[in-house]
Amino acid sequence: MRDRTLKYLLVAPAVLVVFATTIWPLIESLRLSFTVGRLNKPGSLDQYIGWENYTWAFLYEPAFWNSVTVTAIYTVLTVVLTTLFALALALLLVPGGRFRSGVQTLLILPFAMSPALIGVSFRFMFNPEFGLFDALFGVMIPPLADVSWLADPVLAFAVCVMADVWGWIPFLTLVLIGGLASIPRETLEAAQVDGASGWRVFRDITLPQLAPVLAVVIILKTIFSLKTFDQIFMLTNGGPGTATQTLSHYIYFNGMKYGQIGYASSVAWLMVIPMIFLTYAYARYVFRKN
Amino acid sequence: MTRAHFKKTHLKRSLIKLLQTVLILLATLIMLVPILWIFLAAFKNHIDVFQLKLLFTPTLQNFLTVFEAPYHLGQKLINSTIVAFVTVLIAIPIATMAAYSFSRFKLVGETAMLVTILATQFVPAVVIVLPFFVMFRDVGLLDTRIGLVLVNLAIVMPFAIWMIKGFIDGIPIDTEEAAMVDGSSRLQVIRNIVLPMAAPGLLTAGIFCFIIAWNEFLFALILTNREAVTLPIGLALFKAEEGDLWNLLSAAGIIIMVPMFVLALLIRKYFVQGMTMGAVR
Repeated sequence: MRDRTLKYLLVAPAVLVVFATTIWPLIESLRLSFTVGRLNKPGSLDQYIGWENYTWAFLYEPAFWNSVTVTAIYTVLTVVLTTLFALALALLLVPGGRFRSGVQTLLILPFAMSPALIGVSFRFMFNPEFGLFDALFGVMIPPLADVSWLADPVLAFAVCVMADVWGWIPFLTLVLIGGLASIPRETLEAAQVDGASGWRVFRDITLPQLAPVLAVVIILKTIFSLKTFDQIFMLTNGGPGTATQTLSHYIYFNGMKYGQIGYASSVAWLMVIPMIFLTYAYARYVFRKN
Repeated sequence: MTRAHFKKTHLKRSLIKLLQTVLILLATLIMLVPILWIFLAAFKNHIDVFQLKLLFTPTLQNFLTVFEAPYHLGQKLINSTIVAFVTVLIAIPIATMAAYSFSRFKLVGETAMLVTILATQFVPAVVIVLPFFVMFRDVGLLDTRIGLVLVNLAIVMPFAIWMIKGFIDGIPIDTEEAAMVDGSSRLQVIRNIVLPMAAPGLLTAGIFCFIIAWNEFLFALILTNREAVTLPIGLALFKAEEGDLWNLLSAAGIIIMVPMFVLALLIRKYFVQGMTMGAVR
């Protein structure tokens, strides 16, 4: 067989699978978003109502705006906190040696954990009667001694953020260690010989050199934060009330619990739009490297 | 530099070193405690779980109870294993073929295809699961392992293709060209030269995809309810009238996470590369 034909035959199955498992459902959910789309109403999946689902979300659904707000705050907090902690930990770990590389190996563990299990674990840690973190916070910050974390809207949200940050720091740290390790040693040493302080070296040399890796990390983390579902579902299930209801959870609830597939699809598509921009930004970095 | 001055900087250095070690230990502790807590609780009696104590009489009973009625974790374990395994078994050959082609040839629309494949990783699962729910309901694939394998391919394929492409890019092309000059066909070259050399990479990608499929939650939550339920969804079983059954939850948690810890440690060098699709090396 000629390479000319073969090269397309080789990619065909993969293209087909990606089309069937991602492109088709994307197009289909766009179609559904313009229908009445009730699971319990036969025929309603083909009953078109124009932009009604979208206007409904924008104009008449405070719960939609609530989930947008929750997701936005959640994303900003988790991205900033995870990046800062991961950067600090990466700087601490990058010199290498047996002790530090041992810790690096352990960093894989939280990342191999199912996010659903992370949710369970944090619900455990913040249990008012026998949760370890609950007890520790009670000792360190006395006003928090007798609170029930997951019953309080603000604190429950804080626990969700903590669980997320805990789960993602290891991965971001590993990426940043890779980035830091690739900065040429001579550059750093030259600066130190010139008498630059640790902070100046970090600001003027490390940070600019690390910028592309940092950008990749921040884009990736933003995407994953926006999508968050598993651990919130196991940790608070969106509650108390709707205090921790992210967009993914809101879509799940409307689509599966209320059977409003059409409406849920429209909100889902509103969520796809920021993803397109983020993916575009991300793809630029990937192709610059390859 | 005076002697006193030297001493002072020396002291400052060792203090900084000490501080760094303490900080690293603290971070490690924070990272490990939630995991260790699960390990402890899994060996506790029902009564001991409700106390913050480290000393207790360990028991293995929880690991037996979770496999009994009404929990039947064994069935979920089988489901998770089959679904993740079959997903990988389908994804890796298909991804390898595509990865080879992307790596060695110039295709019309290659960049567009690669970007699309990359982008599919970022499509929120909740978006694609809704149409799949409707379709599966109509064709009778709801609550089946085949159905789960199909949707799992959606999340696994982009990683598999990009990761394997990275490995094949790293194999020098010379050997292939030499074999072609000697009269081998392209397919023979792929089978006899590329596949053996790429084998460790394929195994790594396979393990990576297995972990992703094993931990997958949202698809299984929506598309299964009895027969095809997987382990992460099984966690929701351990809620009783009186609250969460933490000792059982923890035992199930160990069964879910320990195999993945082992697999992740096996491929730890490639974890970052796999997740970032080569954007960072």
